[in-house]
Formats: sequence, structure tokens, C-alpha cells
Amino acid sequence: MFEIEQQNQSIHDCFFVSGVGKSCLLLQFTDKRFQPVHDLTIGVEFGARMITIDGKQIKLQIWDTAGQEAFRSITRSYYRGAAGALLVYDITRRETFNHLTTWLEDARQHSNSNMVIMLIGNKSDLETRREVKKEEGEAFAHEHGLIFMETSAKTAANVEEAFINTAKEIYEKIQEGVFDINNEANGIKIGPQHSPTNPSLPSNNPQPGGGCC
Amino acid sequence: MKMEYFKSLKSVLGGPTPGSAPPTGAEIVERLVDRVKNSTLLEDRRDACRALKALSKQYRVEVGAQGMDALCQVLELDRADGETVSYALDILCNVMSVEVFDEEEHPEVYQSSKTSLGEQFTEIFMKQTDNIGLVLGFLEEDDFQVRWPALKLLTSLIHNRPRDLQEIILVSPMSVSKLMDLLLDSREVIRNDALILLTHLTKGNANIQKIVAFENAFDRLFDVMADEGYADGGIVVEDCLAIFHNLLKNNTSNQNFFKEGSYIQRLSPMFALPNESEEIGWSSQKVNNILCSLQVIRMLVMPGNPTQVTLSCQRSLRSTGILEALCGILMASGVPVDVLTETINAVAEVIRGNPANQEYFLNVMAPSKPPRPAIVVLLLSMVNEKQPLDLRCSVLYSFQCFLYKNEVGQAQLVQTLLPSSAEVGTGTTGHLLVAGLLSGHMLSTWFSAVALSHALVENPAQKEQLLRVALATAPGAQPVSLLQQCCTLLQQSNKVQSKVGILMLLAMWLSHCPLAVRDLLNSPTCIPYLTAQVGASEHQEHEELLQGLCAFLMGICVIFNDDSVSSYTRESLCQLISKRVGQDVFLDKLSEVSKHELYGKAHKHPQLQVISAEHVLLDHEFCKLFKALEGMVMKAVTPKESGMHNGATELTLTATENSLLLQYKELIRSQDHQIQEMRRQLQQYEIDRQSSQMHIEELNATVSQLRDQARLLSAAANTGVTGALETDVQRLSMTTEEENKKSVEYEEELYKLRKDQEDLLVLLADQDLKINTYKNRLQQLGEKVNTV
Repeated sequence: MFEIEQQNQSIHDCFFVSGVGKSCLLLQFTDKRFQPVHDLTIGVEFGARMITIDGKQIKLQIWDTAGQEAFRSITRSYYRGAAGALLVYDITRRETFNHLTTWLEDARQHSNSNMVIMLIGNKSDLETRREVKKEEGEAFAHEHGLIFMETSAKTAANVEEAFINTAKEIYEKIQEGVFDINNEANGIKIGPQHSPTNPSLPSNNPQPGGGCC
Repeated sequence: MKMEYFKSLKSVLGGPTPGSAPPTGAEIVERLVDRVKNSTLLEDRRDACRALKALSKQYRVEVGAQGMDALCQVLELDRADGETVSYALDILCNVMSVEVFDEEEHPEVYQSSKTSLGEQFTEIFMKQTDNIGLVLGFLEEDDFQVRWPALKLLTSLIHNRPRDLQEIILVSPMSVSKLMDLLLDSREVIRNDALILLTHLTKGNANIQKIVAFENAFDRLFDVMADEGYADGGIVVEDCLAIFHNLLKNNTSNQNFFKEGSYIQRLSPMFALPNESEEIGWSSQKVNNILCSLQVIRMLVMPGNPTQVTLSCQRSLRSTGILEALCGILMASGVPVDVLTETINAVAEVIRGNPANQEYFLNVMAPSKPPRPAIVVLLLSMVNEKQPLDLRCSVLYSFQCFLYKNEVGQAQLVQTLLPSSAEVGTGTTGHLLVAGLLSGHMLSTWFSAVALSHALVENPAQKEQLLRVALATAPGAQPVSLLQQCCTLLQQSNKVQSKVGILMLLAMWLSHCPLAVRDLLNSPTCIPYLTAQVGASEHQEHEELLQGLCAFLMGICVIFNDDSVSSYTRESLCQLISKRVGQDVFLDKLSEVSKHELYGKAHKHPQLQVISAEHVLLDHEFCKLFKALEGMVMKAVTPKESGMHNGATELTLTATENSLLLQYKELIRSQDHQIQEMRRQLQQYEIDRQSSQMHIEELNATVSQLRDQARLLSAAANTGVTGALETDVQRLSMTTEEENKKSVEYEEELYKLRKDQEDLLVLLADQDLKINTYKNRLQQLGEKVNTV
């Protein structure tokens, strides 16, 4: 029986789609800083942060996956163990939005069916160069049953919320008993009982789209 | 055993006709392969596989060459039959095995070839990537006789073609999960073989390493190690640690994950020391296990890792009590020397550049009576000629790491030597080092000199402080300054390594410290000695290096000269060099340092890389200093015909200018770093661009294709319409013609009718006339006629 008070949890997230600022989002979330020029992600990179939900310490473990097509087969390996995913596109580049369907199909095909997916339109600070309307993002999210949000890794707007909302959604699913927390393949892990400072929930942020911040 | 098979084969194969020679091995293999391939009954194929398996060691070449396709076919088509699959996998294992079997026939044919037989067959087998998928699939079979040979086969494959197999596994999404699941198998042999396979699989491939880590490798491995009893466990624990080592080596992402996943603390049971009472505790396996765990720790805090990661791992290592446990091993009795050495190295890297950990280390006390600081105890070993070389090197490394970016520690060390110090006595670090310096033992002098020089790295204040240190060489004699004593030692010693050590210490001391330069120049014999050394034309082994170091020290005296010693001003030193040595010779000698075979390594690695005592020559920090100043020295001693003003200013650096210079250097260094960073980015963009370019080209190709298609379609469409129209037109024109014809006919008919009518009219008129004539005749005849 799962008793949250005694547990530390970790959640895995994955990101998909290349060059839309996944790595910058992650950096903003984990280190609270923005790096305008970022190396192309090769394969995957790991990041982590502790958050509090309902007074419970939860560690988000985030795998930032390369969005480039060339790494697609590698990044697929990360879907299965993820509890959540952030699908990211760039609001200033329509092609990244158009690409979402492919990524979503891929993610759904290779992941746990309960995986929480959040759709993120990044670079909301670049209003003048916007190519994808907010309504379009909302419509897409509605159609596919995703949570939607626009963020800016640069100004940090909504970045916290994006990650934390995803984590909350996962947390709720855990509470409802949708996720079997004893199955590691779901991307959720209960920390050691006696070290309440070390909870971790695995969370995977998938990012679709292309183009770094 | 084999003969039995042969006999049973006879019945299977119908047997040789009586009187003819018995079939050769190759023939039997050929017939069996044929049966495997073509038999319609599963039992026959299974029997043939069983027979082939018995022959697959002795007739390895034949079985491999003829049977490969048939066996792959079995794996594919007979996968439901565990026994047959098991035989096929066993045969493939034997054929591709790394080892050469005793009973193997004609192996010598292949011994000449560069690649082994197993490797050649592996290559053939792996050409068909589907084959790997099949074998990976068999890992999911719970049946031992299928799962185990599949695992063994994969192990052979990774031995023979590691890169290729890694690439294939990388792109088959579930394969790593399947492998990880094997670690949960209750049959130990499978779990253990899976560990071996994972060790090879994770070697040198960052992407696989990350996926393996993502698939919960750390948890699984710790579970296995816990089951096996941590350090007291068998070789399985060592295998687990080897995988940890691979997963963490130069892999920042996994290092982060390891730290963030709180795995560091799970390492701590590895270092739990047995109680002093049970002295039995050091089997060779235990030594290996602990050495490997120490290696794992070092992977997290190696000097080459990103500072961010290193610092946070260092913090965790302290907060989880592992640093404490390591220091416990340092001070425990009965620890084998190789464990002790590696523990010291690990402690060194755990404290390197981390003020809190350095302070912790400073306060570790050895359980002696009275208790003495651990550092002192360690340094005692370093200056003790009887201790093993590796141990002494590791102590130097730990001391060096203790002083790295540690101004407080540096100051404390120098403080223990100053006359004002209350701690007069022989028990302090400073005194130990000076005693080692003066000991006259070759290596002790070298180690002590280098250790002392680390107290001066980038610390101008301590360079000046150290000038105040004086030594009483003999009872009642005038105290001699440490600097002076070093000069004397340099001239008196006849041991190369001692001299090299002292020269490196002096170079570190005098650089950026005009006061120290002045003191050295005031020593009457020093400059003549250096000049003679640099100018000497003959030399013995290693003396090229010595001469180069002397030249470097002279160069430092030129650069950081404040002209306060009248006999050796900058200018007069330059003249001395050009007249007594010659500039070319001087520069030539200077270059000997960086040309030395150990220079490159020493410059790259903070830890001394030592194979034997002769390799104890160049120190990392010194090499960094040399690299930074070499250019300045060359410039300073080269006469400047013009531009004296510019040159002169560079040589008259005051302390503030010096610090300015250092600041600029720092700036340049960071800019350098940025440039490199940007270059890298540029490269990546370039790659990105190229791929986009390719993408564009592809799109263009598609577009033009589409255009062609469009053209084609429109052409097709056109021909369709015209055809229809033409037939329409034809049809219409035909109709018109018909109409025309009809109308002509009508006209003709009309004309005929008209003519008929006319004829009739004429006829009528005629009749009329005739009637009138008959009327008249009737009237004339008297008949009454009605006139109409």
C-alpha cells in the first residue's frame, strides 16, 4: 500500500523535437538561468530538481532528449520508463508545430499509456515573431488530450508551472492509483524511507519542435 | 562420445555403402546441414541440430561455413521449439567463440589470418542485423536452455565486434531493457553472465551508458552488490563495480544522475571497515572490490570533470560520510598498501579545490599518542625512503590537492616555518618538508621541494613570507635563509632528481616575486653556477632537463628583476647570457624542458604518472608555470634592436602591474575558453547547417519530383480531354454530314415533287384546253353545255 507521507518519490520526464529550446527550458528550471547559446544536445542529458507538491518533497528527474531526427532511435529508448513528457515546439517557427503529430505518435507508441504529456509552446517572449497562435496550440492540445502552456525559457515565464503542473498531474495519477508505483518501468520511484530529503519521481520531458532558444 | 554420435549418425544418414571409405567430417557436416535446411519434420531438424552441435567444436570451420544460414533459418522458423533453438544457439556460440578449442581441426590454417575464426564468423553473422534481433528476442524466453545460450552468444559477439553490436543495440529500443531484466533472473549464472555482457556493452559508448543508467542500472547493481555482501562479496561485486566505472567515466549526464539519484550514499557500505579485532578481512577479492569502488568514487570527482559536477559530488561524498570512511581507512592499521595508496588518491580528489572538504581533511587526526594530524602522518611516509614509491606519490598528490585553490592552507603551511610561530618543534608539516628537503635523499628532496612549491602556487603573499624563513644549520652558526639554503643544496647535490626538485621550487618561488629574485641574485655563487650549467656543452643523462631548468630560472630572474641588485640588473643578466652562453644556446637549452618525454603528461594530469622512480621528475603545477612563462623568457633574453620602450615596460613590472598582468592573463584564459566554446558551437552549427542543407536538397528533390508528377498528370489529363473532344467532334461532324446528306436528299425530293407538280399543271392546262375544245364542239353540235 502506498503511503505518500513516508515516501520520497522521483518522476522521470522526457523532452522531444529538436532546436526549440528544450535544453534552455531545463536549464532554466534546474539552475534558474538562461543560456542564449547552447550546444546541440547529443543523445540525452540528465537534469534534476526537487519540488514540493502537497507538502511532499518530490525529485523530478528529467531526461532532455535530442530532438534531431538522427537521434530519434536513441531517444525512443527513453519513452517507456517515463511517467511524463513535455512536448515542446517553438511559437516562432511553424514547422516545429507541424511536426508535433509525428512526435506525439512516436511517444504514444513507445510509452506507457498513462504517461502524462504536456504541450509547451516555447519562446513566448518573441511575440513579434510569433507564427503559431496560442489558440492553435490550445486546439491541438484539446484534440489530443494534452495539457497546454506557453513558456519562455528566457524570461522564465511559466517554466516552473510547466514542470510542476506536469508533476502534479503525475502525482494525482499516483494518488488515483493509475500508476503502479512498484513498477519501475512507470518511471516512478520511492525513495529510501528514512531519508525524507531524497524523494525522487522520474519525469521525462519530451520536446517536439526544432530550434534552440 | 563423439564416436557414438558417428555411429548414430550412420543410421540417420543411411550409413556408408559397405566397402567404401567412411565419410569425412566435412561430408557429415554437409549432410547434416542439408537435413537442417530441408527436412520437413521438426524432429529431423532437431536431431540434425543436436548432431551438428556435437561436431561444432571439432569441425568448427565446416559447421560455421556451411551451417550459418541454416542455423539462422532455424532461429527464425523453429523459434517455438526451445530444444532446437537451444542447439542452434549452442552451435553458433561454439562457432563464434573467442577461444580456440583443443579438439578443433585445422586451426592452424586460420592462425595466420589477422582476425580470429570467431571474429570472421561473427562478422558474417552480424551482416544480417535481423539475426541480432532474433537473439535478443530469445532473452525474453524464460527457458534456461534458450536464455542462457542466447546470452552467451551475445557475449561472444560483443567480444568480437563490440562497436557494431553497440550500434545495433542502440537502435533497437527495448533491447537494453531486456538485458537489464536479466539482472533480476533468479538463476545466478544468468545474472552473472548478464553483468559481464553489460560490462563490455557499456565500454566507451556514452549513449548506451545513458540508456543503461536510465533503465535503472544503478539500483539493480546496488541490489546485486548488497546481495553479494558488498566488499566481502565475490568477483560478481567487482563486475558490478566495473559497470559503474564504465557508466560514470567521462559521462557528465550519468554523473549528475548518480548524484541526484542519491546513489553516492549507497556506496558507503563498500568502505565499512571490519572491527579491529577481525584481522582476517583482506582477501585478494576484497582488495580488488575496494580498489574498484575507490575508482568509482574517483570517476565522480576526477580533475577533468566539469567543476560544477565535481563540486556537488564532493559535497555529497562528505555529507554521506564517505570522506570520513575513507579517512578512517587511511588511519586504520593493517590496510594493504595498494588499498591505502588508492584511498589516498581518492581522498585527494574528493578534497581537491573544495574548501570545506580541505578543512575537514586538515582536521583529521591519526589515532596515535599523542594524536597527530593525519596530514603530518602522511607526509612522514612521503619523506621516508623506505615507503613504496606509489604510496609516496599518492601522499604528494593528496597534499597537492589539499593546497589546490586553498590560500588558507597555503598560509598555514608557511606559517609553521616562520620564526614568530608559536609551534616551534619538529612535528609540523612545514618542518617535515624542510627536513625532507635537507635530508640528502634523492626522492625525499624532490617530494619535499615539490610539496613546498604547491604552497606558493598563485600566491604572491606566501612567496614573500617564505623569504623570512631562516634555518639554523649548525648549533651556534648564523641562521641561513631557506632560499640561500636551497641555492647551496642545488650546487652541492649530485643527484639529478634532487636538483630538478629544487629548481622547480625556486622557479615557482621567484616567478612574480621580485623580492625573491633579489634575494637569489644577492647570493654570490648562484648566478655563476646557473650560467655555467646552461653553458656547459657536455651532459649526462637527464642533464638536458637540468640545463633547461637552469635556463628557465635565469629567465625568471630576468623577467621579474626590479634592478635593485646592481651587479645583476635585467640588462646585465641579458648581456651575461648572450656573452657567456649565447642566445641560441640559451633558447635551445630552454626548449629542452618542454621537449622532455614526461612534460606532456605532467602538464595534462595533476596526478604524477609514475612507473618507476626515474619518472619522478616533472610536476604538474611547474609545467603549467613553465608553459605560461616560456614565451616571456624567450622574449626577455632576445635583444630588441627597436621597440625598447615597449619591451622595457614589460620587464619592469611592479607588484600592482603584476597583479594586473595576472588579471589579464585570467581574462585571456577565459576568452580563450570562450573562443573554444564558440568554435565548438560553430562546428555544431556547421553540422546542423549541413544536415539542414541536406534536408533542403531532399525537399528540393521532392519538389521537383512533385513538379514532374504534376506535369505528367496535367499531360495525362490533357490527352484525356482532347480525346474525348475529338471523338465528340468526329461524332458531331459525322452527324452533320448525315444531316447534310439528308437535306440534299430532301431537296432532291422537293425538286422532283415540284417538277411533278409542274408537269401536272401543264397536263391540267392541256386538259382544260381539251375540255374547252370539246365544249365548243358540243355547243356547235347543239348540246347544252354548262359553262363553269
